[in-house]
Formats: sequence, C-alpha cells, structure tokens
Amino acid sequence: MHIPDGYLSPASCAALYATSAPFWYVALRRMKRLLNTQVVPLLSVFAAFSFVIMMFNLPLPGGTTGHAVGVSIAAIVLGPWGAILSISIALMIQAVFFGDGGITAIGANCFNMAIAGSLVAYALYRMISGRVAIDSPRRIIAAGIAGYAAINVSALLAAIEFGVQPMFYRDATGAPLYAPYPLHIAIPAMMIGHLTIAGLAEMVVSGGVVAYLQRAEPGLLRRTAPGAATPNEAPATGWSKTRPLWAALALLMILTPLGILAAGSAWGEWSPDDFHNQTARTQIAAASGNLAPPTEAPTGLRKLANFWTAPMPRYAPPFLKNPAFGYILSAMTGTGMIILAFVSLAWITSRRTPE
Amino acid sequence: MTRFIERTIAGLTGTMSYVLSAEESATSGGLLQGIDPRVKVIGILALILSSALARRLWVIVSVLAIGLILAIASRMELGKLARWIWGPALLFTGCIALPAIFITPGRSVWTVPTLGWTVTEQGLRSAAYLLSRAEAATTLTTLLVLTTPWTHVLKALRVFRLPVVFVVILGMTHRYLFLLMQSAFDMFESRKSRTVGVLHSADRRRLAASTVGVLLSKTFHLSADIHLAMQSRGYRGEVYSLNDFHARPSDWCWLFVFLSVSILAWRLGQ
Amino acid sequence: MTPVFHANNLTFQYNSVVALSRLSLTIGEGKRVALLGANGSGKSTLLRLLDGLYFADSGSLSFCGTNLDPAIFEDDEFAFQFRRRVGLVFQNPDVQLFSPTVFDELAFGPLQLQWPKKEILERVDAVLDQMEISHLRDRPPHRLSGGEKKRVAIGSVLVLDPDVLLLDEPTAALDPRSQSQIIDLLIGWGDGKKTVITATHDLGLVEDIADHCFLLQAGTLVAEGRPAELLQDEDLLRRTNLIHAHRHRHEGNGVHSHPHRHR
Repeated sequence: MHIPDGYLSPASCAALYATSAPFWYVALRRMKRLLNTQVVPLLSVFAAFSFVIMMFNLPLPGGTTGHAVGVSIAAIVLGPWGAILSISIALMIQAVFFGDGGITAIGANCFNMAIAGSLVAYALYRMISGRVAIDSPRRIIAAGIAGYAAINVSALLAAIEFGVQPMFYRDATGAPLYAPYPLHIAIPAMMIGHLTIAGLAEMVVSGGVVAYLQRAEPGLLRRTAPGAATPNEAPATGWSKTRPLWAALALLMILTPLGILAAGSAWGEWSPDDFHNQTARTQIAAASGNLAPPTEAPTGLRKLANFWTAPMPRYAPPFLKNPAFGYILSAMTGTGMIILAFVSLAWITSRRTPE
Repeated sequence: MTRFIERTIAGLTGTMSYVLSAEESATSGGLLQGIDPRVKVIGILALILSSALARRLWVIVSVLAIGLILAIASRMELGKLARWIWGPALLFTGCIALPAIFITPGRSVWTVPTLGWTVTEQGLRSAAYLLSRAEAATTLTTLLVLTTPWTHVLKALRVFRLPVVFVVILGMTHRYLFLLMQSAFDMFESRKSRTVGVLHSADRRRLAASTVGVLLSKTFHLSADIHLAMQSRGYRGEVYSLNDFHARPSDWCWLFVFLSVSILAWRLGQ
Repeated sequence: MTPVFHANNLTFQYNSVVALSRLSLTIGEGKRVALLGANGSGKSTLLRLLDGLYFADSGSLSFCGTNLDPAIFEDDEFAFQFRRRVGLVFQNPDVQLFSPTVFDELAFGPLQLQWPKKEILERVDAVLDQMEISHLRDRPPHRLSGGEKKRVAIGSVLVLDPDVLLLDEPTAALDPRSQSQIIDLLIGWGDGKKTVITATHDLGLVEDIADHCFLLQAGTLVAEGRPAELLQDEDLLRRTNLIHAHRHRHEGNGVHSHPHRHR
C-alpha cells in the first residue's frame, strides 16, 4: 500500500507533508519527555524492527500469505507516539533507500499508515481491552481488531487521496495527470484487498504477537495497559462492557463513504424530478421488476416533496466539495444527534424516577 | 508447508544483498559518485519535483532520459537496474494503469475486437503520465542512493535544515537493519531445517508470530544495551553529526546544471 | 593514595535477580586487574557499576574518592570528566558499534564531549592508525569481521584517552589470531600509569594481562590474589566453575577424566 511517486499531485503531497509534520513534532516531544535519552536508540532499533517485519511473508487462514505493517504491535508496545515515529522512519528508509514508496509521497504514506494507523490502532486497543489483566485473552482480540481496523483506515485514506486526484488534476485534453481513478473506483479497488488479505495479515500478526508476549515478556505490554487488573482482580464492569460497541460504531462511521459506491438512488427514495429524468426512470424501472414508472410523480409526492428541506441534502453538506467527507460528517452529525437524544431522554427519565 | 518461510528468507536475502551492492557501487568511480552529496541531494530532488509538476508528457520522458544518461555515466549496470527498479515499477504501475486506458472517458482511439472495450486517447495519456512519472522518480531516487553512501545522503539532508536527531536516528536505523535482517534470517533458516513434514495452519501462524515476538524482544534488549554504550561515551541526550564535505568548484557547476535543467523542465512542462 | 575504585558492601538487583551481594573490593591506580568468574557470576554487572551505568541498590562505590550515584552524574562537569577518564569496552561489539561508519563511531565520544572539530579529526585519524584500521574508516559496522569490530570497539574508547579501561570478555568469540592481537594491545597499553580492569573467564589470558585477580561467584567475592596463586588452586577453580573435569581421550592412555582447562 506504499504510494509511489507520480500518483499524487505535488500539491496533494505537500498538503500531506504539512499535515504529517505537526504529528511528527508532537510525537517527538512526547517521546523525549517520556523516555529522555533512551529515545534515540529505542526508536532507531524499533524502526529497523518495523522494517524487517514488513518484509515477512505471513501465513494466513485459507492457505494464502500476506504482508503486514505491524502498526498495531508498534502502538501496543511503544504507545501511539512511538509508533508514529518508528513506522514513519521505517517508511522513509523504504522510500529513499529501497524505492518502496515515492519520495514525494512520504508525507502521504506516513500520514495514512504511521499516523492514522497508529492512532486508530491505539484507540481501539485501549477501548476494547479496557482494564483487563495483562494476560487476558481479550487483549489478543483487541490487538487483532485494532490491527485490522488500522490497516483498513490507512487503505481508505489512500483510496480517498487517489480518488480525489482526477477531480482536480487534468491536462488540456481532460486526461487525468496523476491517479486516474475516481473515488467510486478507487475506494472499492483499494478496500477489497485490505478488507480481506492485508487486514487479515495484520490481525493475525497483531494477535499472535500479543499472545506470544503474554507468555514470554508481559512487561512489554505494560506501557499501554495502565491500571490493568492483576490476574486476581476482577476487571471493571459497566462502561467497559459497552466499549466494543462504541468501537464498532466509530468504525461504521468511518466506513460510511462506502455508500458513495452505490449508484443511483435507493428504491422508493425518489424525488418528483426523477420522474422526468430519463436515466432515473431507467433505474426506477430496473429496480421495480422492469415496470415502467408513471410519467408524472404521484400528486401526494408532489405536494409533500418540498415540505421539509434538509440541512444536509443527500448527505453532502454544501460547504464540503468532497462527497466522502460529506458522508462521514453526516454520519457523525446523525449519530451525535441520536446519542444526544437518548442521553437527554435518559437524563429526563432518571430525574423523574425517585432515587 | 514452509512456503512462507522460504519466501521470507528469499526476501531477506535479496534485500541484504541489495544493501551490500549499493554500498559497493556508491564507492566505485563514476560521474555521480564524485559529486558532493549535498549537490546531489538538492539536484536530484529538484529533478524529481520537476517531473512531478510537469503537465507535458515529453518533459517527463526527458527527465527520465536524463536519469538514464546519468546512470550510464556513473557506471551503473543497466541490467541490474532493470531487474531491481524498472521492471518492478513497470509491472506494478503498469497493472494499475492498464484499466485506465479503457475506462477513462474521452475520445475513443481503438476498440478491442472481440471484447468491445474502447481505448481512449485520454486513457492512454493518463497511463503514460503515471508510468513515466513513476519510472522517472524511481530512477532518480535509485541513482542518488546507488552513487552516495547512505551516511552521506543523511548528512547531506541537513542542508534542508532537517533536525540532527532525525539524521542520527535514520543512520542508526539503517545500521541495525542488517543486524535484524540477519537475526530474522537465522531464525527462519533454523526453523526451516527443524520443520519436518506438514505444519498445520495454526502452527504456521504461531511460528510466524513467535518469530516476530522473539525479534521484538531482541529489539528492546538491544536498544537498552545500546543506550548504555552510548551513555558510557558521554551521551546525555544531545546528538551531533560531523561531516567532512568540501564543495569544489566542479560541485558548484553541477549544482547550477541540476537546478537549471530542473527549472527549465518545470517551465516547459506547464 | 586514593584508590581508583573502592566498593563497600555493594548490592545490586536486576530484574528481581540479585546480581551482586555485599561485594567489597579496592582497586589501586595504575593496577592491572582481572575479574574472574564463570558466566553469571556478576562480572559484567560489576563493570557496569564501575562505569557509572548502573547504580547500587545499597552499599557504596567511589571513584577516586567521589561517591558514584545518579545525583552526581547530573552535574555536567563531573559527568563529562568521568566519561572521558573511564572507558568500557562491551562484550558484544554490535552494541558498542551503533554509528553508521567506523569514523563516526570513533568520533562519537569526542563529539559528545564537545571537542573542537579539528581536534576530533586529528585524534580519530591517530587512533585509526594505532589500531591499524585506517583502511576501514568509511566501512559500516555490518561489513566488519569479528576481530575488526573488536578493534573498532576498543578504538572508540581509546580515542578519549581514558585513565581507566574496563573490558568485558575482550577475547570472547574471536579467532586465535585476533585474540592474540588484542592481548598484545592490552599488554602494551598504559605503561603502568593506566588502570586496566578485565572481566574474563578465560584463564589462559589472566597471567598475561593482570597482576591481581578478584574471583567472583554468584555476585560475591570468593577470593583474591595474584594470578599465579589463584590458578594453582584447582579445587577453588572447580568450585567456581572456571575449570571442569570431563571424559576425554589422551593419546595412548585411553579414555579417562581429570580436571583440566581448555586453552
């Protein structure tokens, strides 16, 4: 998934370098404060380790093999900032010395894999594992899910970066200058390989290594398990039980742009104008058992269609040009409003009930 | 069934030998080898940028051609470059670019006989942009690395005001790459020779995971010891880099040449 | 005269294993000393304590009269002075050779001690000559042989012109030729003004490089004295796992076992 040179416009590359820089800066400051003088040898050797891991051909269920980035392992063992830095370093060496990934694309690759990947992996791992004991099997599952999600988020970001190119960068004849595939091709093309093989590889190696460390060197797992219960303590209940659900919700929100892939409109969700539009009529017919739709929209539909104008029509807020971001923003807004509604309801009903 | 072990071993061996041959070619006498590393770093980066910014195909191809000429003048084995760089880039980007020829909307140029797919002019141009840019950038990057010792590349990066700690970490990472690759190689070789018969898939995964785990342990212990060794010789958190670069008049000329060509390519490419 | 090192009831734990237990010894200036002991006897740990890399859990350790504890290393002046005066050559050269090239490795110490650039370049070239590794100046560490790595490691410490040289198993994993080169170097270095402390379990080495021995076992001092005396006491050597008896074949005399050591 290392983006080579020539796929992203120089402007996109510069933007991604600029986005990555503050993360690198903050990560280095945090690591220096945490580890002081040990930062240099630890990050260096760990970056070398990341590099070597990326070269491993990993056996997967089903007989296939795949490669993993090891972002979840890095996040679990070093924490998010250390993971950001060491994987970035490994990616830089891969790009410059081995030509694996472009030099102009270093910012993009680091942002997708090292930065976004590490943060997603760390957040999910912490959320799912909660405060269970270091040797709990839940940590293995947490690591696996964290790795799977992280690599898919990285792939999605790369797909978005690709898909946006033909929108903005074309030559005089209209030919795309950089990555030629629009979002609705780039996203499925990237995601298919990562939702299956690459994600599986990441999951297998993350879970496997945590399992190994639990047996052989549990001390290495302590950095990201503050307050972990000792084997005799019972883990915290209540809030922690719902954490996996929150994690799943967050994941679903991030994946909403997949909705862009759906061509046409859902059955029954037509506007009065669709009945005049020839393309829309063909879609309606195809979706309705080849029954031709009426030439005019039904009167009821026409009367009520403009009763309510949505603030974010078609999940595309007017100020956002990119449909993918529009979807995610809509998902966050919608979910936020639902959560707010339920929390308010819970608050109201709890006040009504006598304590 | 130890195919994954063999493939990993093959990958490790290939990379280790690439590192060694890069070190050899970096010190052999050729055109680029003799130029100040800072000039090379600036010059090659400028050329890559100009190929990235170009909107005209012939400009990108010209930059690629310049890279080729420099490679020949620096005594690079073209066959090796083809095997290591051009071939893989062609294959990778070629596969990605191929569908674009058919699906990019535009003026149709040819129709595939039985399948009815149309090849568009815009599709061909798009594929050409992608391929030529990828090849040009890869050629130039590889040239820099194969004609300059890695430590010089790193020290030269300081002209861009990159922080010293960054240069030191990159240098140390590179130094320990080989050691860890060798460790991984040794572990896989020994497991390969000790594995008799068929390994079940769960065992295979456990084997891979424990190899990674052992390597991870080694990483931490090694870095702790290195830290002690550094402290023993006065390390207290400050990192320094000492370079011995002296730019000669010929280096300044080369800088001028690189920058002029890049600016020309940029202007012509708009 | 203040001894170079004075340890009093030194106790040190590492990863909940007691590495040193109430160890007391004194090493005088200009002496050549060997720390003898089998693997795991605490020799390496003691060397790291002497080099101010670890600090005792209890007891005290002083260098030329100054007590070594974490607080005193906060003082820049003392720290730089100590790091220049005391040098440790680690057992594993891959740990000590962490710089990209041999030149960088030798220059590391002087750079940390903030010597002027010109002086660094001169001194590095001088040591490259002294160790006969000038031809390896720009070589990365992974392209060095075992013996070459060891010479670079020693050079990286000698470049600072230390007064005290600590060596951890200097001849381990070296081929015989490299071993004798290192031994020659150690014998010739110092001229009686420098203190050399070598940790080893190689009994063949001891008489050449030391005038006084400390014998360690399980983190405690078991015996001390002149090498000739200690090496005579086979009982002691066997108890501390420095020699062993196993079955082997002598020419003509069949198979039997008796205590011996391998050269």
